[in-house]
Amino acid sequence: MTEFLFFIEVVVSGLLAGTMYSLVALGFVLIYKASSTFNFAQGAMVFFAVLAFVGFMELGLPFIPAFFVAVLLMFFVGFCTERLVLKPLISQSEDTLLMATIGLGFVLEGLAQAAWGVEVRRLDLGIGDFPIQWIIDTAGLFISALDLTASLVAGILIIGLALLFKYTKMGLGLRAVADDPGAASSIGIPLNNIMLVVWSAAGVVALVAGMMWGARAGVQFALVDLALKALPVLIIGGFSSIPGAIVGGLIIGATEKVLEVYIGPFFGGAIEGWAPYVLAIFFLLYRPEGLFGEKIIRRV
Amino acid sequence: MNANSDNILEIDAVEVVYGGVIAALHDVSLNVPRGKVVALLGGNGAGKSTTLKAISTMLAAEQGKVTRGSITYDGTRVKDQNPTDMVRLGMVQVLEGRRCFGHLTVEENIIAGAYSRKLSKSDINDELEKVYGYFKPLRDKRKSQAGFTSGGEQQMVAVARAMMAKPKMLLLDEPSMGLAPQLVAEIFNIVNELNEKEGVSILLAEQNTNVALRNADYGYIIETGHVMLHGTAGDLLHDEKVKELYLGISKSGRKNFRDVLREESA
Repeated sequence: MTEFLFFIEVVVSGLLAGTMYSLVALGFVLIYKASSTFNFAQGAMVFFAVLAFVGFMELGLPFIPAFFVAVLLMFFVGFCTERLVLKPLISQSEDTLLMATIGLGFVLEGLAQAAWGVEVRRLDLGIGDFPIQWIIDTAGLFISALDLTASLVAGILIIGLALLFKYTKMGLGLRAVADDPGAASSIGIPLNNIMLVVWSAAGVVALVAGMMWGARAGVQFALVDLALKALPVLIIGGFSSIPGAIVGGLIIGATEKVLEVYIGPFFGGAIEGWAPYVLAIFFLLYRPEGLFGEKIIRRV
Repeated sequence: MNANSDNILEIDAVEVVYGGVIAALHDVSLNVPRGKVVALLGGNGAGKSTTLKAISTMLAAEQGKVTRGSITYDGTRVKDQNPTDMVRLGMVQVLEGRRCFGHLTVEENIIAGAYSRKLSKSDINDELEKVYGYFKPLRDKRKSQAGFTSGGEQQMVAVARAMMAKPKMLLLDEPSMGLAPQLVAEIFNIVNELNEKEGVSILLAEQNTNVALRNADYGYIIETGHVMLHGTAGDLLHDEKVKELYLGISKSGRKNFRDVLREESA
C-alpha cells in the first residue's frame, strides 16, 4: 500500500511540476499562433520579466505594485518588439522571423543583466517549496505548496486565455490571423494590433512563469535555458494549441518524474534531463502535429 | 464624396514594381462607374491580381509598390493607406483562391468580416441574417469548419465575409477559379444580386472571359501589364479579336494582342 501511495505521490508531484512547463509552453503557443514562428526569445523574456520584477521589489516597491509595473514593462517590450522587429519584417519568411527572435533573445538577456546585474536573486513569494501539512494528514501525500500554487495560477491563466480566444472579438481576430494573415488583413483586421496584443500577453505569461520558476530555483540566467524544456512539451501537445501546452506539460512532468524514480537508477540517475526529448522523438515519428495540434487541412 | 465624379474608382497610368526590380504593371488605366460591374480580363501573369492589390494596398505585403500613376477611390487618393484603412473606407478585396480561415467555422469566418466595424451582438446577428439571405447554402453549414467545406461554399464564405464589412466596392479576384460551371453561375448570380440590391460597385478579375463579360457592364483586357482593349461588355463579347483570342473561337495561330498588333503593323 505504501508502495502505491508513493507512486501516486510521484505522479502527482510530476503533474504539478508539469504545470510549470505548461506555463512556459503557453508563451510559445501564443506567439506561434500569431506569427507561425518558434519564439527563441521566450526564455529570455521569462528571465527579463522576473529579473525586472525582483529589481522593482529591491527598489522598495511592494509585491503587488512591483508586479503591475513589471506587467507594464512587458507590455512595453511587446510594443517595441512589434515596432522594431515584426513590422520591418512583415512579409518576410517565417525563417527570417525565427532568426530575428534569436537576436531578440540576446538583446533581452543583455538588457536585463545590464540593468539589474548578474548575481542570482532569491524570490520569496511567501509560498514555501515544502509539503502542505493538511494534505499529508488527510491523504498521506507529500505535495509541495509551491507546486500547488503554480498549477492553480497556470490553470487560471490558461482558462482566461482560452475564454479570451473563444469569445472575444480580439480572440476571433487572433484566430483569423493564425489561419491566414493575408486574408485577415484583406478584411480589415489590423495585423499590427494583433501582434502587439499577442506579444504583450506572451510577456505577461513569461513574467508569471518566471516568478514560479524563480521562487523554486532562484532568479538567474539558467531560467533562459529552462524555457527550452518547453520544446518537448510543444512537440507533444502541438505548437498551436493551448490545451496542448497544458496536457503536454502534464505528460512531460509526470513521465519524467516516474522515469526518474523507477528507471533512473538503472541509468545512474539524472534521466530527467533527456527523457522528455526521447518522448518527443516518438511523437515526432508517430504524431507530428502533436496531441492537440491543428491538423493540417489540405483539400486536394 | 466627390460629387462631380460618377466613378467610384479611377486608375490613371499606374505602374507597379515588385521588389524594386520586376515591373508587373506598365501602364494601366481604368474606371469603375459607381454601382457598376467592371471585368478585368487577361491570362495568367497579365497583371489582374496586381492591379487589384494595388487598389486595396495589399501590394505592400508582397514588396510591391505603385511607382507611377494615381489611384483615386471615392474621391480619396490611394497612397499611404493600409488595407485596414481601405476596408474602413468601404473597399474590400476578396483574394484569389478564396482564402477562408480553415480552422474557423463558416459563421466565425463571416463574423470576422465585420472586424472593422463596431457592432453589437444583435447588430451582428442582423447582418448575419442578411448575408445568409444572399448566400443561402451557407446557413446549413454555419457550424462546419470552413476548411472542410466545398470549393463553391468556400468562395461563398469569402464573398460573404467581405460583405460583412459593408463595402461600397468589392474587388473580386477570380471567383470562378476551380469551380464547376453551375457553381460559377451561382456565384455570379449572387454577385449580381449584391450589385443590384446593395448597390456595391464591383471590379472583377477573371480568366473566364465569357462568364465575366456576361455578368459585367464594362470590360478591360490586359496583357503583360498593359490595357489592350476596353469597351462595354456587349461590344467585347462580339468583338472578333476577343472572340478569337479569349473566347476560343479561333481561326489562325494568333494567341494574344501582341501577335495581332505585330501582324497589323507588318
